[in-house]
Amino acid sequence: MMQDTGYKIQDKDMHHASGIMHQRTITVAVAGNPNSGKSTLINAIAGTRLYVGNWPGVTVEKKSALFEYEGTNIKLVDLPGTYSLSPYTQEEIIARDYLVHEKPDAIINVVDATNLERNLYLTVQLLELGIPVVMALNIHDEAVSKGYKIDIKIMEDALGIKVIPTVATKKIGLNELLRAVTDTSGHHPKKLNYGSDIEAAASAVEKQIKNSYPQLLKKYPLRWLIFKLMEEDSHVMEEINVGDKSFIEEATKHLKKAHGNDVESIMADERYALASGLTHEVLKKPEFRKMEMTEKIDKIVLNRFLGIPIFLAAMWVVFKLTFDFSAPFADWIDAMTTGPFKRWAEAILGFIHAPEWTVSLATDGVIAGVGFVIVFVPVIFAMMFFITFLEGSGYMARAAFVMDRAMHAIGLHGKSFIPMLLGFGCNVPAVYATRVLENPRDKALTSLLIPLMSCGARLPVYVVFIGAFFTAYAGTVLWSLYVMGIALAVLMGIIFKRTLFKGESPMFIMELPPYRMPSFRSLMIHTWEKGKHFLIKAGTYILAVSILVWFLLNLPWGVENKKDSYLGKMGQVIAPVLEPVGFGNWEAASSLVSGLIAKEIVVGTMGEIYVQKKDEKKEQPALTDDLKEMGTSFASAVRDSASNVISTFGISSLSSEESAEEKEERSPLRDVIKSKFTPLSAYAFIAFVLLYMPCVVVAIAMRQEFGTWKWFGIAFAYQMALAWIVAFTIYQGGKLIGLG
Amino acid sequence: MGLVDIILMIVIIAGAVYLLYRSLWKKKGHCPGCDSETCKPEKKYNPKDC
Repeated sequence: MMQDTGYKIQDKDMHHASGIMHQRTITVAVAGNPNSGKSTLINAIAGTRLYVGNWPGVTVEKKSALFEYEGTNIKLVDLPGTYSLSPYTQEEIIARDYLVHEKPDAIINVVDATNLERNLYLTVQLLELGIPVVMALNIHDEAVSKGYKIDIKIMEDALGIKVIPTVATKKIGLNELLRAVTDTSGHHPKKLNYGSDIEAAASAVEKQIKNSYPQLLKKYPLRWLIFKLMEEDSHVMEEINVGDKSFIEEATKHLKKAHGNDVESIMADERYALASGLTHEVLKKPEFRKMEMTEKIDKIVLNRFLGIPIFLAAMWVVFKLTFDFSAPFADWIDAMTTGPFKRWAEAILGFIHAPEWTVSLATDGVIAGVGFVIVFVPVIFAMMFFITFLEGSGYMARAAFVMDRAMHAIGLHGKSFIPMLLGFGCNVPAVYATRVLENPRDKALTSLLIPLMSCGARLPVYVVFIGAFFTAYAGTVLWSLYVMGIALAVLMGIIFKRTLFKGESPMFIMELPPYRMPSFRSLMIHTWEKGKHFLIKAGTYILAVSILVWFLLNLPWGVENKKDSYLGKMGQVIAPVLEPVGFGNWEAASSLVSGLIAKEIVVGTMGEIYVQKKDEKKEQPALTDDLKEMGTSFASAVRDSASNVISTFGISSLSSEESAEEKEERSPLRDVIKSKFTPLSAYAFIAFVLLYMPCVVVAIAMRQEFGTWKWFGIAFAYQMALAWIVAFTIYQGGKLIGLG
Repeated sequence: MGLVDIILMIVIIAGAVYLLYRSLWKKKGHCPGCDSETCKPEKKYNPKDC
């Protein structure tokens, strides 16, 4: 057993690998069941230098890496996690098409040692391809700790492949695995015997292929092709266009008669029998099995009465921690953007004698617009971190499971909850992720409900308003918004089910992975993957909109009062509609309009509108003072954040007791908002932001997924109405009971 | 406001509009995964694409 793999990454750029092609290069596909630790194994081998993309045309992630191991270049290609190579799901089709058409030199079959029988079903199918296979018997430590005894030698002899025990999380066994992979040349897996009936039919089909279709032998692995023809696999039949299928009928006639079933089912039964038989041969389990931790936790977490309250409580903890951890950093960035960065921009533009209006554009437009969004990057990253933790620990799969019953109430199943969970990060990939749903009805209904899941882009708006009005119970207010989104999704789902989408909800079978502590490294990688696009957005279209909003606020040229600007006039046209919901002023209306591009722009626009340029000339601190201040304030942000997290439910800096002057200095936008809204109208406003129309990019995504604007049109209409009704109910209802 | 100011203003606005078009339409809002090929219209797997 090794602690270190000892391999060396040569080049991460997969498209420019020709420079190291003078050495032997082998392509190795990595295949395995979902939750077998395949991703962890790939990450452990290739680290952060993996080339992460997607399989062409689909949302299924594709990872690949090229590195050198003991004089051999290995191109590692990660196949989607699948239970079999049948042609029913997108993942299965991708995996098997790659293996059949690309013919990798070897396959690493990642097998979960704690779940041997189910994982071996895929192994049996991989062996049919005739490609050298090396089995990574992963999560081996857990199997050992459960008292499982797996006879590696018998397994190797039975399958004719190398079997290497691995623990990907601890990088154990990777060296042996890579050595086995580089040493597979000329090795071919054993031809497993499928029983006399199947083998007899296979021989007949083989003879016919060799006689009548010899050209197919160059294109497809023979045994795999025989089985697919016997099964009359629709994809293969379509692809190779066999004219006369009578020889298949003839060859399988006896088989079907003897087993009383179609060939596909007979083959599946035989593969299961092989996997099961082998498992009984090689695996010895302890006679008395203690109830495992996963089972103990699931007894509580999946309880029919406790499941949903626990899910809601888990989300509350996530939001509370998000606030407590990130608030000091958000405050720090806020102080930096409104302080030193603004001063430096003014100084640089002054130095190059730029026109005065460009100084205003840079400071009141770009820095105010983009800066007020950047402030919330720590909040977004913290949220993504905690959500990634829940995903990696195995809890999110339970969340989908406990939500399955609620989803059935709205005519969907738990699988639809997975794209909806993605929507908490960003609604755009969530809409694309509806491709995992086979039924067009489910796809359309799920896409209509996804915008009600509160995406990360809405967080900045919540944080500004919560920071201004609800500091003492920030986490709870934030949690209430997410719960409101989910509850309204359920409500709208029920309405849609009875109107637009009548019909039964399909069955859903999902696997619940065991609870595991995700590694910190993997958490950081996934958090970065999820959160980085907010930074890209800030540097691209949020920047663009900030510039355009600045012009709209300053045109016609020389306008004295912002209210008379183009943006102000547009806001005044819309404002009366928003009067009954508590924020009928042109500033709020204009911000909501610009927020149609992306929700975080609501904050950027408010920053540009509300935060007035101070005319008084203060003495400018020196650059060194600014840098010193940045360092010391960052250190105190780290200290505050740590103390908030340690006290878990302690008071975040957003709610810390600061002097009014200090607070104004540090967060001018929050202070102005406090004077323009009441707590009731503020809550109505953030509820409106949660619910009103999905952003432009979601509209584009819906148009691309469905080929029509119809579904976006429906989403736009119902969300606008819903947002207004909910905000009206909150504001007017609150006033009625004396909260106003 | 001089001619240079007007030209500069037009250039900035045109640049912002182009950036907006490019980011929203061509780059699909820079959504996670869309920088690769995720958000391409759905099509059948073609091994030549890999």
